[in-house]
Amino acid sequence: MTAVLDPPSVRVPSPAPAHRRQRFVPAGLAVLALAGVLLLASRPDGLLLVTGAAVAVLPVAELARRLRRQVAEARGLEEQRRDLVTQGRTTAEELERATRMMRARAQTMTSVIDAVTEQSIIGTDRDGVVRVWNPGAERMLGLPRADVVRTRSITDFHAPEELDGGTAPGADPAQRTAARFAALVRVAREQGSDVRDWTYLTADGRQLTVSVAITPRTDDDGEQAGWNFVGTDMTEVRATERLKDQFVSLISHELRTPLSSILGYLELVMDEEGQPLTDEQRQYLAVVERNAQRLLRLVGDLLFTAQVDAGRFTLQPEDVDLAGIVRAAEETARVAAAARGVDVSVAVPDGGLVVRGDALRLGQACDNLVSNAVKFTPAGGHVTLRLVPGWQDEGGQVAAEQRPGSRAVASLVVSDTGVGIPAGEQGQLYTSFFRASTARRNAVPGVGLGLTITKAITTAHGGSLDVTSAEGVGTTFTMTLPVGC
Amino acid sequence: MDSRPRVLVADDEDDIRLLVTLAVRKAGCTVVASVADGTEALAVARTETPDLLVLDVSMPGATGLEVCTALRAEPATAGCRVLLLSAGASPDDIARGLSAGADAYLPKPFTVAGLVARVRDLTSGVQA
Repeated sequence: MTAVLDPPSVRVPSPAPAHRRQRFVPAGLAVLALAGVLLLASRPDGLLLVTGAAVAVLPVAELARRLRRQVAEARGLEEQRRDLVTQGRTTAEELERATRMMRARAQTMTSVIDAVTEQSIIGTDRDGVVRVWNPGAERMLGLPRADVVRTRSITDFHAPEELDGGTAPGADPAQRTAARFAALVRVAREQGSDVRDWTYLTADGRQLTVSVAITPRTDDDGEQAGWNFVGTDMTEVRATERLKDQFVSLISHELRTPLSSILGYLELVMDEEGQPLTDEQRQYLAVVERNAQRLLRLVGDLLFTAQVDAGRFTLQPEDVDLAGIVRAAEETARVAAAARGVDVSVAVPDGGLVVRGDALRLGQACDNLVSNAVKFTPAGGHVTLRLVPGWQDEGGQVAAEQRPGSRAVASLVVSDTGVGIPAGEQGQLYTSFFRASTARRNAVPGVGLGLTITKAITTAHGGSLDVTSAEGVGTTFTMTLPVGC
Repeated sequence: MDSRPRVLVADDEDDIRLLVTLAVRKAGCTVVASVADGTEALAVARTETPDLLVLDVSMPGATGLEVCTALRAEPATAGCRVLLLSAGASPDDIARGLSAGADAYLPKPFTVAGLVARVRDLTSGVQA
């Protein structure tokens, strides 16, 4: 291409002589004619001769005019030629630059795709025939690119039962492949993309659980050219998750069952009317019961945390009066607070404050905040529980008055005059099993699940949990919940 | 003749089975049998037709859910009341129990007072 348009290959006359001819030829003719006229006029029969000379001069002038016109045309043509050559050269350069860029871009894309060895990247045409098959796909599915590209459908590598959707596959292989491919990309076609687990079948007969992101691919004109399938092998991860679920379930059962016995028989002994217990015996058994209940709470917390982690935590929404929940939390904490010499005060709206939520979980969240406040406050300290209605703007700020765009919220504020949480540790408070250094230093009992759970419950209700704390001064947790969630 | 409600107790944990038996008696009922696996529970239910069965969900032989489903499928036992006890306390566990045909579901650990009240409630129609 470049060679064809290369200017040196085009031979044209040099413009310089034409230019000179144009200037000198008419001038030369005029001098000649004038010399002839003067020569003839100087003779006795000059008049006749002048007339004859004039006749002879006329064709010469016409010739000169034509010549000038041709010269002008030649100049125009020459300029056009030069423009065309310049344009051709520019176009050739642009084309070469674009080609270089395209090559570089394609090379970059290929090298990126080829560098991915842990994920399969499979590109197909619109009908599911494989066009791109990266080393990750080779490794995951055990087939080299050359054996797959243009010859196999991506559905060949999927467990057919997942694509047939319970319906009997058609007898015609082409129709069957088309139906399975349509099932594979159905959600991505409807929603623009789709990420979910599929079962891949490898060349050596293994089944892999693969998280596949499916997206449509378009060509330069924006037309759909095919589909992309980016897969991550989740086989081991999913197996570990199942094992964890089974473990949590087993632990839950194995711990709850003996606790049922302990608590049940304790109840029978303590309620025995025929043989009343002495005060001392009752006191000892109360310790047993308290610790059994503590174990039970721990089991419940572990189970709940596992459910949150697994995304299997659901709410049972109903209208809940938060004022009742706060009062109940105070009542639950009252004995422990009195034993520690901590004063607990409650301020809730007289008419209550109803939100839409899960009463059991909200009660659990509130209990956690209150019991934490009591646990972390030394003797003589104060714990204050306040429930206040408010309006929250889009930036999360809560005010007493309604403003445009704000939503009605209920804020539960639990303040204590306890040991506080160091500023550098406040960001980790909601991490499972995290315990603040002030908790460890003061030997405050706990395993570090309460705030994780409280945060999860608050978030599940569409609310937020905020903390302000100063070491040695106290801590305030604010749980803000939407009233109409 | 003893006119007290007749109750079958099934739980593979000996301690829990005894605890449930004591609670059932506290509720004023007669324990017609206390068994340790689901298959046996179903066999006894077919011959004794108790007023109430207190079944653990996790049992060898047949689970409490399977026993419950089988009872509902047979005309002779379809009318028996069923109280399921289970260590599973999630809403899904409870929903599974109730959809198997149970009349009530009590997560472990339960209080004896709570179990007594539930047994009384479920047998109130047959109380002499």
